[in-house]
Amino acid sequence: MATQQPLTNPSPLLIPCSYLTTEGNKTGSWRFLRPKYEEKTSPCSAACPAGEDIGRVEMLTAQGSFKEAWETILLENPFPGVCGRVCYHPCEQQCNRREFDEPVAIHILERFLADTASRYELKPSLQKLESKRQKIAVVGSGPSGLAAGYFLTLLGYQADVFEALPEPGGVLRWGIPLYRLPLSILNQEIAQIRELGVQIHCGKSISQELLRGGKSEYDAIFLGCGHSRSLPLKIPGEDLDGVKNGLQFLTKIRRGEVADLEGTAAVIGGGNTAVDTARSAARLGAKVILIYRRRRQDMPAFAEEVEMALEEGVELWELQAPVKIAAQDGDFVVTLRHMQVVEKNRQKRARIKPDSNKKKEIRVQHLFKAIGGEASEPWYDPPKKKRGMLRLSDCVLLHKSREPTLVYGGDLVADIKSVAHAVASGKQAAIALDILFNEGLDAVRPKLQTCLVGDGPSISLETYMSGPRSLRNHRVVRYHDLNTDYFQFAPMITQPRLLREERFQSFAEINLKIGASLAIREAERCFNCGLCNQCDNCQLFCPEIAVTRDNNPRGRHINYDYCKGCGLCVVECPRNAMILEEELLCDRS
Amino acid sequence: MRQVLEGSHAVSEAVRLARAQVISAYPITPQTHIVEQLSEYCANGTLDARFLRVESEHSALAALIGAASSGVRTFTATSSQGLALMHELLHWASGARLPIVMAEVNRAMAPGWNIWADQTDSLAQRDTGWIQLYCENGQEVLDTTIQAFRLAEWVNLPVMVNLDAFFLSHTYEPVDVPDQKSVDRFLPPYKPRFQLDLANPCAFNQLAPPNIYMEMRHNIQMAMDEALTFLEQMEEEFESILGRRHGAVEAIQCDDAEIILITSGTVTSTSRQVVAELREKGEKVGLLKIKLFRPFPVNMLRERTASASKVAVIDRNFSFGASGIFAQEVKAALCNFPGHPPVYSYIAGLGGRDITMEVIENIYWLTKKSTAPENESSWVGLREVDHAVGQS
Repeated sequence: MATQQPLTNPSPLLIPCSYLTTEGNKTGSWRFLRPKYEEKTSPCSAACPAGEDIGRVEMLTAQGSFKEAWETILLENPFPGVCGRVCYHPCEQQCNRREFDEPVAIHILERFLADTASRYELKPSLQKLESKRQKIAVVGSGPSGLAAGYFLTLLGYQADVFEALPEPGGVLRWGIPLYRLPLSILNQEIAQIRELGVQIHCGKSISQELLRGGKSEYDAIFLGCGHSRSLPLKIPGEDLDGVKNGLQFLTKIRRGEVADLEGTAAVIGGGNTAVDTARSAARLGAKVILIYRRRRQDMPAFAEEVEMALEEGVELWELQAPVKIAAQDGDFVVTLRHMQVVEKNRQKRARIKPDSNKKKEIRVQHLFKAIGGEASEPWYDPPKKKRGMLRLSDCVLLHKSREPTLVYGGDLVADIKSVAHAVASGKQAAIALDILFNEGLDAVRPKLQTCLVGDGPSISLETYMSGPRSLRNHRVVRYHDLNTDYFQFAPMITQPRLLREERFQSFAEINLKIGASLAIREAERCFNCGLCNQCDNCQLFCPEIAVTRDNNPRGRHINYDYCKGCGLCVVECPRNAMILEEELLCDRS
Repeated sequence: MRQVLEGSHAVSEAVRLARAQVISAYPITPQTHIVEQLSEYCANGTLDARFLRVESEHSALAALIGAASSGVRTFTATSSQGLALMHELLHWASGARLPIVMAEVNRAMAPGWNIWADQTDSLAQRDTGWIQLYCENGQEVLDTTIQAFRLAEWVNLPVMVNLDAFFLSHTYEPVDVPDQKSVDRFLPPYKPRFQLDLANPCAFNQLAPPNIYMEMRHNIQMAMDEALTFLEQMEEEFESILGRRHGAVEAIQCDDAEIILITSGTVTSTSRQVVAELREKGEKVGLLKIKLFRPFPVNMLRERTASASKVAVIDRNFSFGASGIFAQEVKAALCNFPGHPPVYSYIAGLGGRDITMEVIENIYWLTKKSTAPENESSWVGLREVDHAVGQS
């Protein structure tokens, strides 16, 4: 074994070492690109007719700030509880997450927030602007009228809502079946609108005189009277005794005036009212056949509703046009003509024509017509063309010098008749009137343009009122703008529902509640496109330690003395909440 | 305890026993088994180390440069293109005097893609200031890797432990794996001579103008010289604790040899057999294994070859436009030595081609028959190939 020798010390090391600070080296002078925080627009919010700030709502929900999330919705829509249930959620169609795995279940979260607020009896802290002298009358307390009253009140106006029926809500109360929208939810949200200061006068019909009154106490009148009269089929026998109208049938159910149905019921039509009628009739015991003259994919009813109707046993007969109704021993015999598609158009409904002379007959015990509606009074509709008239995306404004300004809104002017569009209409009307009163008619269009969400047509009240949202770039963030390396695959939440068997029995709400932990998990799936959620990647990746947090937890800023413009922060921002701009020499500080 | 270990896992076991604190690597065949095993040790708590997953070899070494600057024991492993990607940081690690240890599995450089044994990858990095050691078998790999930490930390230079792809990295052999206590005795916890310290902030390795740069380079060369001396002392200590030593070079029957074969890596084992058989036939042949390539053991080489009339270097590597790289080094080491033997350079086994006993014996006979080297290098066993592109 070798003897162990003591090891001598190694020789001294020569390496550069400095105890001076490197702060004197202002690396910012190397920069020719400048990173900047700039929030952009999420595609869901641009797709929402009401322009809800969905990306931010989900961010707050994920953080457990349920009240703030709920209030963020309320800034743009007074009906989160209603819309979380009945809206057809076009937002989810545009969700960027769809290209990653599945969209975020935005509607389930909206409903969760409203339900949570209701459960804890939360009161929203909404800021009203200072009182204005103008008064506005709102005719009709459907979703557009209530929304108009709500937004006008937020803008500081006095709004009086007139409703002919004994209770407010319009189609929400009388037209949407309870299994989709329980009354308690509607009542809750209407009560909230009242608490804000909107006066709702029920049992008060309005005559056309109000519109003409030169000495009216109102400076403007919003007409949101809806389509409450059914369109005729224009076929023999449609006025036979016992042939019912879908919308009236739904109203009667809500009044508790309908007994169980026996035998077979036919519902003619393809819209949401037809589907609601069919599903309600099924619940009352009838075997239901839904008769539509085009195909299933052409139905104006929301696809999910049709799907559920079929699940519940409703039969759908496509390409069948009723041509005659006859009475026979207390039953109805409907003659149907077979139709065929002559032109397929992806964007629009198919055009159809009769398929030779093929016909068949069907004998039913109950017959419902539900092919759409129209205004019950001709003067509810906006006139064709007039001086001082401004046709906006969601309402029509008619300005007269010595008479109250008229605004036609809701279903009277909407192409898509949805609650969210009605809310959009009420909001646009309120903002348009505010602009009109402050700056005149010519300012309305350009000023509305500045508060579009993305490319519009939806607009934001928060932007109009110069809230934080107004600082955002209107550019809509697309999937390729995101850095999806920071996201993990996670399936969309499944909406818990009553069993199919349970649904037949009652008008109990089909969709069940979800708990807070599930809601947070779903909200965490949201990419928050274009918004900063303080993930701090920018700070983490900055090689110059030039990103600092402000005292305000939402605030970050870049120290341009040291930022050399490498752009790492912009690339590593998962949400596209930053931009990299070319540095202008004259800007350099 | 004797275990049957894959060559790669001999490295992993050594790193475990050395108690490395930060490990960072990017997978590349045929190195991957080394860090695969280590990542499992980090994950299951066998080894209390931080395993950093990175997106490239460049980042792997960059991460270790940061970690080593903060005064911890560091390890990485790579091969071929991965080592090439590290090139810039190889210079940085040595210039910054960081005792990083790397296992380098010798694999051919692309193109064409070739994952098999070839030393050109690591030899092409000879001027980066890393100590380079070439191993012959699994036991030597394990012992050398443990020693590498001791050596690196003593002279403050990074150490590269090289092993042939597949012939060594993927071959199972019986290996004596020492117990932790013995290794701890040989390799105490790392005491850095300098480190980043939050209590006393400073910056390392900034500007070095002409008035100091040369002295710094010379300082590195002094450390290389020290490594030569220290290696011997260290091996003695290792032997006293663990009973084995390998040597910077190993001379087998060189004392009376007329022709000495010079080899490195796994081809040495085959050569041992050839030399034994030739000796039986009465041939005066010896074998010199070079393990330490940087610093190059010039004096040892001169001494061990002094009696020979010819030396034949077998290189599994090539420097284009010159010759085999070990041959170059041997020539350079001997040229100022009066009466030195002529140096024959043979190129064999590139890209994993077998260097069989016949190949080595053939090299011996060629050398014996020749009166003087005719070429800078002779390529052994070139085949007729009929696949050339671009012929009109």
